[in-house]
Amino acid sequence: MTCRELIAVLDDYLDGRLERDEVAALERHLAECEACRAYLATYRKTRALGARVGRVEIPDEMKTRLRRFLRERVG
Amino acid sequence: MPHGVIDSPAMTSDEQLLLSRAAAGDAGALEGLMGRYSARVYRLAYGITRNQADAEEIVQDVFLQMVLKGASFEGRSAVGSWIYRVTTNVALNKRRGKRREVETPLDDCLPTFKADGHREGPRALLVADWSQRPDAELLSGEARRILEEAIDRLPEHYRAVLILRDVEELSNEEVADIVGDSVPAVKTRLHRARMALRELLTRRLGAEAR
Repeated sequence: MTCRELIAVLDDYLDGRLERDEVAALERHLAECEACRAYLATYRKTRALGARVGRVEIPDEMKTRLRRFLRERVG
Repeated sequence: MPHGVIDSPAMTSDEQLLLSRAAAGDAGALEGLMGRYSARVYRLAYGITRNQADAEEIVQDVFLQMVLKGASFEGRSAVGSWIYRVTTNVALNKRRGKRREVETPLDDCLPTFKADGHREGPRALLVADWSQRPDAELLSGEARRILEEAIDRLPEHYRAVLILRDVEELSNEEVADIVGDSVPAVKTRLHRARMALRELLTRRLGAEAR
């Protein structure tokens, strides 16, 4: 497996969607390639950070305005 | 692994009742709808537009559509799925023509390879690993600003699939249904978005990790 082939299947690897022989080939490459180990670690971290940053809360004052908006139009 | 948080395939009688009562102006039913759906509509709207004022208009638009058109659902699909679809469409339409200068052509942020399949680039950057930095550090201060800027630079239809998949934890199949694309297309878009985000972060955070 090359670096290009490894990066192409990273999502499937992290989601547990690869076949056993594909996982073995990928992990053999990882054992030998520092750049791909760094890529995997930072890619995995990027996924996690993106999810954390995306969990924003709707502000309370926005909910108040939504409530008023709907009552004016529907009530 | 995503667990698929969309409601059951068809609308429940409870949801039908809530929608019909809300359409008649029942304050309790409106409150019930807001309690169930306002958080996820806002997360998705803000995630796509990255603008609080735009997100607020989208939330109001989606809820108004939900209340006015609720009776026409006739149980054909889950309310959750419908809401994600409408929110995505309204948010992408709102962003149309508003493409900000900060957005980066995605190809500039994707890995490039030599003929033998190895990645190209300075070795120090190729092996830079900032992933061991604590989340508390990465999610605050300068690192947080870098992360927010990197997300801002993604095109909005890439942000849409990222939010649906990574924040709302929907499956690739559910995301494909919502954005009206094939599963392979969604997987490709997600992977490109994550690679671009990783690259933007590594260019900034990797320099400090070396």
